Amino acid sequence: MDRNVSDVVAIDRNVSDVAFKNVNNTLVEASNQTNLKWPLIIFAILSLLGFVGFSIKVFVEGVGSQQWGYHAALVAFLLSSIQSAPMVAIAPRVAKAHWRRSTSRIAEIFGLLGIVNLLLFIPLMWILPSLADGRRSLWFYDALEGVSPYSPHIWAILAIVVLAFLGVFYLWLSLLPDFAILRDHSKVGTVRKKIFKFLSGRWWGSSSNWYMHKHRLGIVGAHYFMLLVFVHFLYSMDFCMSLVPGWIDALFPITHAANALQAGVAVFIVTMYIIYRFGGYREYIGLDQFWALSRLLFALSLLWFWFWFSSFIILWYGGKPSERFVLELLMAGPYIYVFIPVFILNFAGPLLIMMWNAVRKSILGPTIVSIGVLIGTMLDRVRLYVGAYSVSTEPDKYALHSVPNTIWPQFSSDVLLWIGSISAVILLYLMVAKLIPLVNIAEQKELLLYKLHKEFHRTKVMVLGKPE
Amino acid sequence: MFTKRKSIIGLYTDENSVADAMDGLKSKGFGENEYEVLTGVPYPEGTFGEAEPHLHLHKFPLIGAVFGFCLGLVFTIGTQIAFPVVTGGKPILAIPAMAIIMYELTLLGAILFTVGGIIFESRLPKLFMGAYDPRITEGFIGVVVNTTEDNLDNAQDVFKSSGAEDIKFP
Repeated sequence: MDRNVSDVVAIDRNVSDVAFKNVNNTLVEASNQTNLKWPLIIFAILSLLGFVGFSIKVFVEGVGSQQWGYHAALVAFLLSSIQSAPMVAIAPRVAKAHWRRSTSRIAEIFGLLGIVNLLLFIPLMWILPSLADGRRSLWFYDALEGVSPYSPHIWAILAIVVLAFLGVFYLWLSLLPDFAILRDHSKVGTVRKKIFKFLSGRWWGSSSNWYMHKHRLGIVGAHYFMLLVFVHFLYSMDFCMSLVPGWIDALFPITHAANALQAGVAVFIVTMYIIYRFGGYREYIGLDQFWALSRLLFALSLLWFWFWFSSFIILWYGGKPSERFVLELLMAGPYIYVFIPVFILNFAGPLLIMMWNAVRKSILGPTIVSIGVLIGTMLDRVRLYVGAYSVSTEPDKYALHSVPNTIWPQFSSDVLLWIGSISAVILLYLMVAKLIPLVNIAEQKELLLYKLHKEFHRTKVMVLGKPE
Repeated sequence: MFTKRKSIIGLYTDENSVADAMDGLKSKGFGENEYEVLTGVPYPEGTFGEAEPHLHLHKFPLIGAVFGFCLGLVFTIGTQIAFPVVTGGKPILAIPAMAIIMYELTLLGAILFTVGGIIFESRLPKLFMGAYDPRITEGFIGVVVNTTEDNLDNAQDVFKSSGAEDIKFP
């Protein structure tokens, strides 16, 4: 009759009945207790400004592609920040890092927010000219037969729709065990109970449920990552680089994706700080999470320079007139006052600040650097996309012959649209936070099985069992 | 003629008792598809001596990759032999040029088979889930037996002898 149940499980089990209930109650109630009434109202009103801005853009300013650079930059910024943030849940989960248990959910919710970006992307389908205008692209429209002039539109919308779907699917998969907990905690006959019963599907916690759950998360996560890189590839090529005559840079798509990982980590750290500070989850989020991510952010900030310099040196040494004009358009000319802050906020600042161990190993340090990285990424997308759209109607599609002046944002449309869209993202996040716990309950309870504090000579150490 | 299945659940707080119940059910002649452990926490596979699910998910990408590789090989060789053009003085069947297409098709095959594998392994959900208790998500461990009416007493005996905290019929 003896069964070899793990010692750690056996030892920890003595306290875990109470501990399991505590984790359930604390985390279920944390989402109910946080008063979000005013933030929800404020961000709902701000989101409406986005509709106003968009309406003004369409009906007053028109659909000439030069005016839509800021809109394209907004889509690129959201793609680079919120849609990359789920990677902070996916990568450590695949690597079986235990520190991420309490923070994975915060990153996974960003997958749902991809829907906002999908809606914002749709107008760009009308704005982006077809390949019949003669511009060079990776589709070789002029060189090959049978290529649709709308290839960029078709493939980009397909990829972005699937990415948004995968983001939602990944969140739902991860939530299944927690939906079951919320289902069992809701009063019989309430709408809440019915909603969670529907969302938890046929989850009962059987061994096969758990087994498939683990594998599905790994596989869907891996596909999200592959598709994220692919979307960056398509969007940066078709909605930015191909619009600039003479700009040929094989590294640009991967630069776009690498910068997005940096911004994804940054938006995650900022969100994690807000939840840590105001969300009632201090018991679960701490220095471990900030420290682990600050090292990642530091590495990605160094990569920012590597990618930028690798592209820059080719155009600079090439020195053809068309290449000089591209450098002037994107860096040294009308957007130099945007490029300098980008360089400081995305590379120089993080390098000089995060090189100090005391800053990396803190909660406030990585948060401040992350805010800078987010602002830097926003400006970077503005410089690239507004610059690109400002020359998209040039008659010569093979080389730039002059650089137009800076295109400034229109307050009544561009600024309102940016404020409204970012507010809509925050609003949606807050609404989700009201509905579900921001810490994965099942994974926290799993940690209780494996975690043990033990006397070690004259100190105490944490013993962590690993099931695999 | 289908035999009507009934369900019974035993609730436990101790993992060793659950393992004893599993042993008891096995010794009473219950088949592996007649009982299941329900938990609110992902315990390591085999903790209670339950049969590990046999999944073949890992085989799908491998089969897909082999299929894609072969397709790439046939595609690149076939097209170049059918329409031979010497490029840059290189052989008609130049490995570096073929490797790119072969790599892409290998990866494509692996991805498509993986997606198919997830769908295949998920199969249709069980229509009869049997007994359940909300206390499972609070830390209790449930052993649910779905069997014929005649066998329910045997299952109940096993639950009692292994120290179940509560026994429920749906």
